[in-house]
Amino acid sequence: MRNDDWKKVSRLVSKKSLWMVHFCTGCGAMEMPPVMTSRYDMERFGIAPMATPRQADVLLITGYLSIKTLKRVVQVYEQMRDPKYVIGFGSCTINGGMYWDSYNTIKDLSKYIPVDLYIAGCMPRPEAIMDAFLKLMEMIEKGEAIGWKKYHKYYDQYKRNQRMAFSYRLDEVQDIKEDDAK
Amino acid sequence: MMAKELFPDAQEIRKGRIRIEVEPEKVGEIVKKLKDNGYDHFVMLSCIDWINDGQFELVYHMWSYEYREHVMISTRIPRDGGSMVTLRDLFPQIETYEREIHEMFGVDFIGNPRLGEFILEGWPHMPPMRKDFDTEKFVKDFYYKIPEVKEE
Amino acid sequence: MMKEFELFVGPNHPGVTGNMSYHLWVEGATIKKVETRVGYLHRGFEKLMEKRIWMQNVPLVCRICVPEPDVNEAAYSMAVEDLMGWEIPERAKYIRTIILELARLGAHLLTVGGIAASFGLYTIAQWGVGDRDYILDIFEQITGARVYHIYIWPGGVRWDLPKNAKELITKVLDYLEKRMPLYEDLLIRNKVFIRRAVGVGIVPKDKAIEWGVTGPNLRAAGYQLDFRKLEPYAAYDSVDFEVPYYPKLGEYEVLSDGSDIYTRTAIRLLEMKQSISIIRQALKEMPEGDVILKHPQWFAWKVPAGYSYVRVESSKGEYGYFVVSDGGKKPVRVHVRGPSYTHGINVLERIAPGMNIADFSPTAISLDVCPPDIER
Repeated sequence: MRNDDWKKVSRLVSKKSLWMVHFCTGCGAMEMPPVMTSRYDMERFGIAPMATPRQADVLLITGYLSIKTLKRVVQVYEQMRDPKYVIGFGSCTINGGMYWDSYNTIKDLSKYIPVDLYIAGCMPRPEAIMDAFLKLMEMIEKGEAIGWKKYHKYYDQYKRNQRMAFSYRLDEVQDIKEDDAK
Repeated sequence: MMAKELFPDAQEIRKGRIRIEVEPEKVGEIVKKLKDNGYDHFVMLSCIDWINDGQFELVYHMWSYEYREHVMISTRIPRDGGSMVTLRDLFPQIETYEREIHEMFGVDFIGNPRLGEFILEGWPHMPPMRKDFDTEKFVKDFYYKIPEVKEE
Repeated sequence: MMKEFELFVGPNHPGVTGNMSYHLWVEGATIKKVETRVGYLHRGFEKLMEKRIWMQNVPLVCRICVPEPDVNEAAYSMAVEDLMGWEIPERAKYIRTIILELARLGAHLLTVGGIAASFGLYTIAQWGVGDRDYILDIFEQITGARVYHIYIWPGGVRWDLPKNAKELITKVLDYLEKRMPLYEDLLIRNKVFIRRAVGVGIVPKDKAIEWGVTGPNLRAAGYQLDFRKLEPYAAYDSVDFEVPYYPKLGEYEVLSDGSDIYTRTAIRLLEMKQSISIIRQALKEMPEGDVILKHPQWFAWKVPAGYSYVRVESSKGEYGYFVVSDGGKKPVRVHVRGPSYTHGINVLERIAPGMNIADFSPTAISLDVCPPDIER
């Protein structure tokens, strides 16, 4: 019982100070400055941008991801400490959006890293972004934002998909253990 | 001197747009001549894939601030194993355009040391801007077939 | 003893403009060599455009430059009109001018804010983004969207301005005009800024044209060259405006030999004033009438075969569209010339060696490098 109570307190505290990685992965980054600055001001909810992933809690994937960026995003995501949350921003992270037939952008973000929350639209309005953050806070408090646990549990599957994407090929997937040994 | 005086066979598409069609060997000489005659702004280098003719068309765009005239120097090279001499010594930005065209179309620019990976990373297939690369088929065969993460 | 090392700036770094990275070779605090690494935003636009019909490409092109999408719509539409031989209605020309200048104002506010933020003057960045939001509000009322408007179409603009457009826009322009002195006091006359920005990040003047520098960066190097004057499009030949260039910095002091971060910032602030005056004139002189040509059915468009190169002056420099058609329903090739292509790669790689690391990021931001138009 005591352990459970302690978890509740920790969730309550962590939802009030979300630090977001300062990484503009796509064009959705254009709506981030208004949210961060005086007009919409997300700092009143305890959300602030943070340059290093090691001290951040939230990773925002702002729009489409090319394979070259996906490599960096996976690296950033793995550098973040648990618990960590991912928000998929815009239609491009859900099904590819208007780049559905582009050879260089991934179509479904949840195949490569676990996503806690999606924001629909191209591009989402600042109000939608803030609403997403509030929803995320709610999820954290209830203990529903468990994407980072999934990443531990299904690590092999996520790694397999990432490898496929990085090599632009479905076959030729190297064995994960062999690669880790290097 | 204006492009029309320098090259009498130049063709005027519309006001301020001149088009010159030449052999690949002469491009360097013409770009140099235009550069010395007031066409001092190199706009860009484009490549067009004419798959039915089996040719790539390289278009060198130049602009003169003095005459307010835009010249397109167009040349055709074979699609398979086509190559071109680099002009990176004339204008530095040509080097970047050549890197892009090398990656996206597979044209070899002889003498450019920076050809190689530029925009894509680890791309194992045919250069993607070629007309015979079907992006829709590639997406269906690759991205859609990556399995979803199965949760127990 | 000096130590040599390699530094990777970006893509996850607050000092780069968007998603791109620089590979620096450094000795002590002095940069020896720079390589720009791009491709993080490559979506293959030019390939996708070959797969879509002429009309479907309008929503695609605006995604090429995120801070200032309207220049793409305008350039693409002008290229299609050029091939089709269309002359757009007079009122549409004026509306395009207003939209393009509003977009320029917004983009300049963001860039000026970015330059200030790279020196640690965060107030300007907060103001710039905040004031830009009022311009986005105008866009929302006119076009229905904040960022991607898809308002300028081949043949004109999609619909007429709302009835209260004049009051709406004038109100925001009045507000911006009132704010300009504040920007000047905190930025261009700020001692901190002057100490850091004067004489830093110099693009050699005699090389500027040969290296392909365009836009405000070229004017800061002392050339009065602007494609709004050289090849007027929209209604720019009917409105009266001056192109600010070094050394004619108006009320700002000339503190350097030009072509540095200070001059580039001053030129941008002066251009904002010009933009405000252009919009006021266009609103005043705008004629009544149609805003779009009576098209044949959109899906059945066949554009005559030919080559067309069309350029517009964006807030960053020359934006060009090279469109090739073979007479079919889809373009054969659309090639976009982004101004950052030269500024971000060959210019920056040449001017950075010898620079202090701390000056690198402000220099890149003051050249207004926007990665999506490099890799598209």
